[in-house]
Parts: sequence; structure tokens; C-alpha cells
Amino acid sequence: MILTKKLMAAALGATFLAAPLAASASEAELLARMEKMSAELEQLKAELKASMQKTNELEKRQQDMATAAAPAAPAVTLPTPVVASVEPSHTGPVTILSGYGEINYNRPTKDASAAQADIRRAVIAIEHRFDEKTKMVSEFEWEHGVVSASDQGESEIEQLYIEREFGGGLRGKVGLFLIPSGLLNTNHEPTAYYGVERNFVETAIIPSTWREVGVGLSGDTDAGLTWDVGVTTGFDLGKWDATSTEGRDSPLGSIHQEGQFAKSRDLAVHGALNWRGIPGLLLGGSIFSGKAGHNTEGFAANDARITLYDLHARYTPGLWDLSALYARGQISNTEALNDTFVGSPTPVPKSFDGWYTQAAYQLLKSGDYTLSPFVRYEQFNTAKSYAFVPQGLGVAPTPDEKVTTVGANLKVGEGVVLKADYQKFKEDKSRDRLNLGMGFAY
Amino acid sequence: MMPMQRCLIVSFTVMLAACGGGSGDSAPSTPPAPSAPAATLSAAAQLGQKIFNDSSLSASGRQSCASCHAPDHAFGPTNDLSAQLGGANLDVQGFRAVPSLRYLGQTPAFFFASDGTPTGGFNRDGRAQTLAEQAERPFLAAHEMANGSKQAAVDKLKQAAYIEQFRALFGAAITDNADQAFSRMTFAVQAFEQEAPEFHPFDSKYDQFVAGKVKLNEAELRGLALFNNPQKGNCAACHPNARGADGSPPLFTDFTFDNLGLPRNKRLAATADPTYFDLGLCGPDRTDLAASHPELCGAFKVPTLRNVATRKVFFHNGAFTNLKDALGFYVRRDTNPEEWYPAGADGTIQKFNDLPLQYRKNVNTEEVPYNRKPGMAPALSAAEIDDLIQFLGTLTDGYQNP
Repeated sequence: MILTKKLMAAALGATFLAAPLAASASEAELLARMEKMSAELEQLKAELKASMQKTNELEKRQQDMATAAAPAAPAVTLPTPVVASVEPSHTGPVTILSGYGEINYNRPTKDASAAQADIRRAVIAIEHRFDEKTKMVSEFEWEHGVVSASDQGESEIEQLYIEREFGGGLRGKVGLFLIPSGLLNTNHEPTAYYGVERNFVETAIIPSTWREVGVGLSGDTDAGLTWDVGVTTGFDLGKWDATSTEGRDSPLGSIHQEGQFAKSRDLAVHGALNWRGIPGLLLGGSIFSGKAGHNTEGFAANDARITLYDLHARYTPGLWDLSALYARGQISNTEALNDTFVGSPTPVPKSFDGWYTQAAYQLLKSGDYTLSPFVRYEQFNTAKSYAFVPQGLGVAPTPDEKVTTVGANLKVGEGVVLKADYQKFKEDKSRDRLNLGMGFAY
Repeated sequence: MMPMQRCLIVSFTVMLAACGGGSGDSAPSTPPAPSAPAATLSAAAQLGQKIFNDSSLSASGRQSCASCHAPDHAFGPTNDLSAQLGGANLDVQGFRAVPSLRYLGQTPAFFFASDGTPTGGFNRDGRAQTLAEQAERPFLAAHEMANGSKQAAVDKLKQAAYIEQFRALFGAAITDNADQAFSRMTFAVQAFEQEAPEFHPFDSKYDQFVAGKVKLNEAELRGLALFNNPQKGNCAACHPNARGADGSPPLFTDFTFDNLGLPRNKRLAATADPTYFDLGLCGPDRTDLAASHPELCGAFKVPTLRNVATRKVFFHNGAFTNLKDALGFYVRRDTNPEEWYPAGADGTIQKFNDLPLQYRKNVNTEEVPYNRKPGMAPALSAAEIDDLIQFLGTLTDGYQNP
């Protein structure tokens, strides 16, 4: 088994190294042009959609007016239609409705009784462009089918911010926005990633979908560098529950604030750099850091600081889609707090980390069907180490969990994806499972 | 309107919290004084304080609320009597051990949680919905202050030095109607219990420990680990000791009820009658659940563990008079029942002998540390019980950092 793992890792590594060599310079240029064209196409599509919406609105309004005018025909004093004032204008306001959703089926192979189907999420996104430079971005999400006091579903606002372009590639935003950490967090539609479920590293270590309230500034340089900086709300360590397993599943996911009465005595800062200088290649990293005690009266960890950083790479030469990511989180000054949690199953970890590498290949393309098998190997640990507690009173750090995922995405056009994969766990073998899913984004 | 009200409440709470410092320049590190100057209490609470301490309101003339709920014993009993004595001659024994009145302010009125768990309420059977309702019984009951009627209690109140203050607050004619006057008495007592900081000082060593201000010593920390550990003491399952997500200090009770199957206590005179059983939620005092919820018969309210180390009598029937035995019972009840229950005529151990046979199945035998059988090791060793006692000692109010 170990041998196969090693072989697999070696194969993945080799693919990574070999692929760049395979892509010649001219191919790279071609790819660059294609990428640019596809971006332009996307923009055109959006504009067309918006303009069609406008035309429809206009037509409807004219029709309404005509029908309203008909019975009142004798009244010659009717005002002339106000068509002129709503003439389509490229600088005028535009509202774009989009959305995504996914429904997943998980079947643990060693315990079929735990098989589940779940409406993982349904999201409606509304983007409103006030003018060429100013837009509002929002995402409204429902998870797990039913939301009520006695159900487990959640209804949440995932993004709600205003972005303003200042020219020269500089833009600022204010509101609830996604932290630019890792590959998945800001790009989390089901059509954007391989596998039925989001990878573990970017859910257990980076708490995707991770958003904070604050201000951010971003910019692009001619050299293909994109940078982001910001000041936002952070985590609330006071929410840590040492008796539940939530903190073990995702340390930061259990204490995020999601813009809900978010404690803001301590703010956090973040920064990200992403380089797209070579066509098809993305290299990037991010860091987020902030205190998490909020100077709370009677709290033992007011000096605790949470820092999370990641390094990531994605390379898409030809039919390949290769990516790798490492993320690590640290929570400092938790000794006194963890003293109060002695004997409880889930004290606050001092560090947690994980990495994955993934290779996907576009095996078949027929009409608008695209089949891309993929393999992902990830290793993560949500409780890599703990702050000191007297001997015998602590909890042993957990071993790294290692998960291999093999499966395929079948894309239908650009907006629909059907997925199937199998996940094998090294430590907790009871979690081995088969997953099926459907997703869409428009 | 709301923000203003909230603001007033907040400033009032701040006033209470800051009651120690009249001069305004007191060092913030000084713990709040254990008792508040009367000036910070509302008029009703000030009256309540007088009523609480007034032994002239009893048939004996020698018993007040404070007699059994002594302020210097965390508003609990000073002695190890299974039940206190009351009545006109202070010679009538009660039926249940006196609980502490501290930290009751956040107890919700009795209700069934969505999963069916009975929760909240006052008295050991949760039958009183409010502290004011709870305060009624002692004034009237034959084994306590023994006034017999509200009229008798109010007649005594009319002789009190503070009666004009009472009338000034509740109306000149208030004492003309005994029912109304009596309800104002208990209302005032409730106001005192809710407002006076000495009922909820939150100044134990443990409070300062969770605030990161002091360290527990090694034995105390070992005890805490046993308290938390779901496989050892598992105490936190019913006596939660973590701060709330909103930062509220822990109360060491989840307000639920449990059936521990305590041994029958012969020191309670009532047990001389073999047909007498105190069934908690099923009566005899409480009467609304016996028919509909036989599975709850024998369950009593989970008390706070704050100040438990100051007590000399434990559990609803006062079956134990020291903490070591109380903890020993928890972990050895099922592994060594012969240590706690008498043998019957045929030599078999009469386990859970303070319950009628049909209700003995209600006793909690599922959760740690009860999930054992004779021959198995108890969940805690003698040394571990000692550590746990050390930890429970950190829950005593009024800790002064040396």
C-alpha cells in the first residue's frame, strides 16, 4: 500500500516536472492568446446578457404602455413614451443575476447505512454595476435543503461588498468579501474544482468558504502580478468548544464569525500575491494574521494570535490541469486557555497544516461533453501540535490524515458538471467513501 | 426606547460589578467586595434583604431565610443535618437537604427541551417557576417558618420595623390584602436574590483561572482533567464548566434532572414510614408529572457545584456528609454496591433502595461514571477522587490571590 502511495506521489511529481517541458514556447504563446480570448469572450457574454435583459425590459415596458394606452385612446394628452430616457447606455447601471448549486451523494464503503444525499448548497448571486467603475457583489446561499429552527440547514450571506476601480489596475472593496487564501476560497463554484467534495486542506485548514468584513485593496502589474491587501474582522477564540469535535474537523471553521455580530476589538490583516506571468501558470501565496481574544473580560487567551498562510501553484499546459498547495495555521498564547480545557477532547491546537497535489487530464471531448479524470493526494492535520500542558493532562497530537481521491468530472457545456470519485483515508479507514455529485454555475 | 433601556441595564450591571469602589479610583485588580452597599440595591431588593434576615416572620420567632441559607455559607446550611428543623419550636424535621441559593438567577422556569429533557425550575423538583414562587413555601410550611397561612405571615410583617417602607413602596393599603402583601414579600426577596452581588460573586479561584489570572496547582489541574474527561469523571456533562460562547461564566449546572439512585437516608425521620418515597419530579411535593412521566420518577435537579466544598450535606436527601463519600458514591455505586446499600433478608444488596421497585429502572446507569458492574474498576481511584476534591475546592467563592 505504502509503495503504491509513493509511486503515485512520484508519478504526480513527474507529471509536474515533465509537463512544462512538453509545452513549447509557441504553444505557450498560443495558450496565452487563447486565455486572453476566453476572458474577452466571458466579458462579452456578460455584456450581451445584460444588454438582452435591458432590451427585454424595454420591450416589456413599451408593451405595457401600449396596452395601458389602448383603452384611453381618445385622450390625446397622453404623455409621449419615455423611451428616450431609458436608452441603453454602456455607462448606465447593469444588474447581473447568476448562481450555482450542487447536490452530493456520499456512501461510506464500510458503512453503507451512513450513505447520504444532500443539497449541499444553492446560491443566488446578484452583481450590480452602478457605473463603469463601481459594482456591488452579493451571494446568498442556502445549505442542506431546509432551513428552520428544527432543521440543520443554513441560510447565509456569503459575499456582500462594493468594489470601486481607481484606474491603473487598482481597485478597492469594502464589505463582506472572500479572503484571497489558497486556490479554492475565491473560486469555489462546483464547476471550478475537481471532485465531488472540496478538498480537505482547503476546508479543514483554510476554512473555505471564508469571508470577513473589512476593506481591501487589490492591484495588477504589467508583469502579471496581482496583489491583495486588507484589514478585516478575524476569528473569535472565545467560541472554542473543547467538548465538541468541531474544532477537530476545522479549527478555524469552528471559530469563524461570518459577519454575524463579529467581535472586532482585534482586527486582522491579510495579503496575497499571485503571479500569472507565464501563460497557464499561477504561482501564489497568502497570509492572514490577527488576534482572536478581543480583550474579552475574564478570557484566558486575550493575547492569542491566529496566523494562516498558504503557498499554491496551478499549471494548465495543454490538456493537463495540475495544482499543488500547502497551508499552515498557528494559534499562539493558548497555554492558559488550554489549562482550562484539560481532560476535554478538543483543546486549542498550536498548529495545523496540510498540503495536496492534484493532476487532472482532459481525456475526452465530444461535442460539449468534456471528461476529465483526476487524482489528488492530500495530507492534513488539524491538531499538529499543542501548547504545553503539564505531563499527563494533555491530548496527544493527531497523526496526519492522508487521503487519496480518484475520480472524474464530466462537464456538459461550460455550466454543468457531473462528478464521481472515490476517497481512501489512511488513518481513519472508516471514512473511505464513494461520492457522486451534480453541480452547475451560470 | 429599547436602546435606552438596554443602556440603563448595562450601566446598572456595571454599577453592580463595580460595587466595591465608592471612591472611583480603586485599582481594577481588586476583586469586588463580597457584599454590596445597600445603596446599589433597588428599594424592593433592600426590603427583600430585611425580610430575608427577619426571624420575627417565623412561628418560632427564631428562624429567617438566612437561618438555613446562611450568607457566610454561600447561602446554604451551616451544619450537616440531612434536613433542617423548623416549626413553632424548631423541632420539626424537613424532608430535603437545603440547597445553596447562590447562582440561581439564570435558572430558567421549568420546561421540556425539544428532545424531551426536563429542564429548569426552582426547588429540587423544579416546581417553582420563579425565585419569588420558591420563596413562598418556607414562610408557610409546617417544618420551616410555619406561618400556616399568608395572613399569619403578613400579620407578622405588619409588626416589622420596616413596614412603613414596605407600604411606601407597594401602596399604603397593601397589607389590607394578605394575598397581595404576601406576594410583594416574595417579590422583594426575589429582587434581593437577583440584585445583590453576594448571590453571584463569580470570584472563585476557578473564575480567576479561566480568566487567565491565576494558575491551578498540579493536583487541582489533575482534578479538572478528571472532571472534564468524558471517560473518567465526566462531571462536565451535567455540570458544565466552560464559559458560554457569549463569554458568560460557567454555572456548573445544565439545569437538567438526574436520577442517581441514592441510598435511603435513615436520618430523615420521614423514612421511618416504609411507604414514604421522595420521587422528585414525581412528588410528593410536585404533582403534575407523576401520571404522565413515570420515567422521571426519582429525578432531582442538577445543582450548581460552585461552593460545593463548603457544604456538609450532599444530595437531595442528605445521604452523605462529606465530599469524599459523595464522589465515592458516584464512581463505586455500581462496582461496589455493598458499600452503599444494605443487604436484604436474603443477603442480596438492596440497590437504589430509596426508590420503589417499579422506579429503580429509572436510575441513570448509562452514562460515565455509572456505566459499570461489580468486578469492574471504578471510573476514579481513591487518589483521583482526592484530586477531584482539590479541584472542587477551587469553586469556592471569595478567593484571594496570595
